Amino acid sequence: MWDGIIIGGGLAGLTAGIRAAERGKQILIISEGAGSLTYSSGALDFGDVGQLLSHEDHPYALLGETVVHAGMEWFQNLFPDYRGSWSEFQEILTPLGAPRKAGIVPRSHNTEPLKNAKVIILMAPYGLKDFFPEIIKTNLLKAYPQCEVEIFPFRTGTFESWHTIGKPVTGMDYTKYWQSQPGVSELKRLLDSLPQTSGETVILFPGLAAAFCEPLKEVLAGTPFPVIEMTSFPPSACGHNLYSALKQKFKSLGGELLTGTGVQSIESHNKVCSRAIVRSKGRPTAFSADSFILATGGIFGGGIEATADTAQETVLGLPLYVPAQWTNSEFLGEQPYARIGIEADRELRPVGPGGKEVLFKNLRVIGRMLAHWDPWTETCGGGVSLATGWFAGNQL
Amino acid sequence: MKDYQVVIVGGGATGVGILRDLSMRGISALLLEQGDLAHGTSSRFHGLLHSGGRYAVKDPQSAAECIDENLILKKIAPHCISDTGGWFVQTKDDSPGYVEEWIKSCAGAHIPIREVSISEACRKEPLMDKNVLRVFEVPDATVDGFRIVWANARSARHYNGEFRTYHQAERLVTDKGQVTGVAVRNLLNGHQFTVHCDIVVNAAGAWASQLAGSIGIPLDVICDKGTLLAFNQRLFHRVVNRLRPSGDGDIFVPHETITILGTTSQFVDSPEDNDPQQEEVRSLLEIGEQLLPGIMKNRIIRAFSGIRPLHREDHDVPGVKEEGRNVSRSFALIDHELQDGIKGLISIVGGKFTTYRLMAEKVSDRVAEKLGNTTPCHTAEEDLLPEIPEHVYKKAARLLPYAPVEKMLERLQEDAEDVLKEIEQTPHKGQMLCECEMVSMAEVEKAASDEDTHHLADIRRKTRLGMGTCQGAFCTYRALPLLWQKKEKYDSLDEELRNFLNQRWKGIRPVLWGQQLRETELTRAIYSGILQFTEN
Repeated sequence: MWDGIIIGGGLAGLTAGIRAAERGKQILIISEGAGSLTYSSGALDFGDVGQLLSHEDHPYALLGETVVHAGMEWFQNLFPDYRGSWSEFQEILTPLGAPRKAGIVPRSHNTEPLKNAKVIILMAPYGLKDFFPEIIKTNLLKAYPQCEVEIFPFRTGTFESWHTIGKPVTGMDYTKYWQSQPGVSELKRLLDSLPQTSGETVILFPGLAAAFCEPLKEVLAGTPFPVIEMTSFPPSACGHNLYSALKQKFKSLGGELLTGTGVQSIESHNKVCSRAIVRSKGRPTAFSADSFILATGGIFGGGIEATADTAQETVLGLPLYVPAQWTNSEFLGEQPYARIGIEADRELRPVGPGGKEVLFKNLRVIGRMLAHWDPWTETCGGGVSLATGWFAGNQL
Repeated sequence: MKDYQVVIVGGGATGVGILRDLSMRGISALLLEQGDLAHGTSSRFHGLLHSGGRYAVKDPQSAAECIDENLILKKIAPHCISDTGGWFVQTKDDSPGYVEEWIKSCAGAHIPIREVSISEACRKEPLMDKNVLRVFEVPDATVDGFRIVWANARSARHYNGEFRTYHQAERLVTDKGQVTGVAVRNLLNGHQFTVHCDIVVNAAGAWASQLAGSIGIPLDVICDKGTLLAFNQRLFHRVVNRLRPSGDGDIFVPHETITILGTTSQFVDSPEDNDPQQEEVRSLLEIGEQLLPGIMKNRIIRAFSGIRPLHREDHDVPGVKEEGRNVSRSFALIDHELQDGIKGLISIVGGKFTTYRLMAEKVSDRVAEKLGNTTPCHTAEEDLLPEIPEHVYKKAARLLPYAPVEKMLERLQEDAEDVLKEIEQTPHKGQMLCECEMVSMAEVEKAASDEDTHHLADIRRKTRLGMGTCQGAFCTYRALPLLWQKKEKYDSLDEELRNFLNQRWKGIRPVLWGQQLRETELTRAIYSGILQFTEN
């Protein structure tokens, strides 16, 4: 018998699990996949919180400002390698080298040093996949016109045999190497070999992902010039490392993580959920708990499946908010389908149509499963997952 | 003073077919196309190379033309055709009387058919409905519209034929009751100029009436919109037709790893009116379900629509819009000297992709006769493109993974050598920039730097970039540096990317459910989230 079972082990589910486990709860996370952090930039977007709080149905509005704020603070205490601020955006670089705003970011991604730089040295690891130094240089010159940008190509012996056969080296491959012992030594040698210029030089290093890796952070702290990182095209080592760190934190607090299989249904009685039935080739396995959290990741995570006519929640068949029109012609603009999700009360419990009746007393819905928000046009994907996950873990 | 003997307007299959034919006869010709080659109907159809079976009952002449051309194209353009064979399948809803009539008509048109036993049929096409009544095999095949158009253009160029894309024929130029040229606008830089010639061939397809109308000549072309669906799997091994009078959603055409289901028929006002609609998708799926039970469970990657330009001869039919399928699919060659007393203009309208070569031959015969050229047509005998030399095959097989080799050689033909040389020198350019359609970085780079490539969509048509399962999620980003290298001729990267994503989106919107919706979330995560591109 668990205190809580969380279905879904992405950012929201793991956040809820860690928060509850910190409070001494016995938590089981059952996760079919590995979340979608590896497809993300690794930075957490909060969006314009003040404005989003005023959207009546938005998850932020359900929780209120204090809770969103608390979630943000909590995360930074949990992972000091990340930094954010309630009062201002952090600036980081896209994979094409354009500055963008974000909420909480790995410290090494913050572009602050670029603002006073005179020279940017853009490190160009040979064969790095989906990395386009010439375009990045153009974008950097546009954003930081006071700078000169110098592309610094280099190659490491490790991948020479890959280069010979033309095998691409992904950011994940490079990161794995930098985090190894020979990688750390080589990185140190490489940075030492750079021309020793004044303090106005900044090194921009793609494919590094220093957060959570003590030896790497140490090397970077020892350089005479700031070394900053940029986000990468998926799969992103930075997002993946955050996912690993969350998992590790959860387990270190005594949490149990069951991955690779999904929950097919939840048994309930009188609006109280009692057992999660796990999909299995043999006899279905049941796990009991006092409380449940649904964090199955919406459409992308597989928690919502759409057909030509409608959309369904896949575990309990909960009712969904589904807009009449799903799309608009401008792909990069507002797409109403993104707001499909479960409507919930202020405790994040699912409610029936009309919003009055609470459908399950001991079930909370978090992250991308909630209705009435769009992580892309509102750039609040990380914020909503974090705030709702923190809240659900705190209440459990 | 004339610049060319002939100017052809329209870069679809018919236009390039005429360009090739005239060039082989030694007639100097220029083809003008307002977009990219094959951007219109020639790439927006099901890709069926008709055996004639579909027309056997209703239109025996078309059926006979189809089977003849089917055999010719299989011979001269094997690299553009996949000889899958096809079936005509009678379900319990299809009239037995029609089946008998069809069998007789096929014999009349010399279309070879063979009845397939139901047990053999179920074994060979396991996804097909088990309750079908009768199955007949015909020599249907599948054809790659882009590829055959480009093959014709290359062959024509070999015989000194010229073509200019993104050149719009704004109007015909006349002098004393005779067409003497075409006023042209280069859409890339806005330059306007006039090309003088003896004869203009109007092969503008769905746009043909606009061109004729520029000098007040009536040409009644009906725009018949046909919507199709692309599934991301090969659901059938061969073409599968319903054995009944043609209707919506009754033909499945497999291409490489996908299957196309077509086709609706609806009259529209303009050739630009080609947005697939949700209702059309519904109707296709409902009927498709009868041959492929559980069709809704299969992932659809996009819907697309083409405009069939049908010719209606009788101008006097009142405004009632009859159904598109009842208007002849056979083609009409109109010599405006005979019809309207205007010399120097020939229009070719109607017809279908399968008979493009025949149409080109008829037009070219007429043109040659007027010009006093007596060289006969050779397009039915001469291979569309030369054989790829053995050493090129071997080199490609050494440098690239197995599956992409053939695809690349079929697309690039003799240009493959340059791409292979590039990969040999810079091995990482052999990696697959487009992982769905298996297109190497070197090949995309080549397409991006071709002088007749002006937009990301042109690269797509040449390489199939962005046409696979991801519908551009990964490869659009990966093409950016190649556009950047040639930035002087492209729009800004933001703009190219936005336009390309919006074009892909147009076909995804009506089929946005299941795994395709999931894919869309990923695409939005990449472009709106990670790369922070916003709408204009």
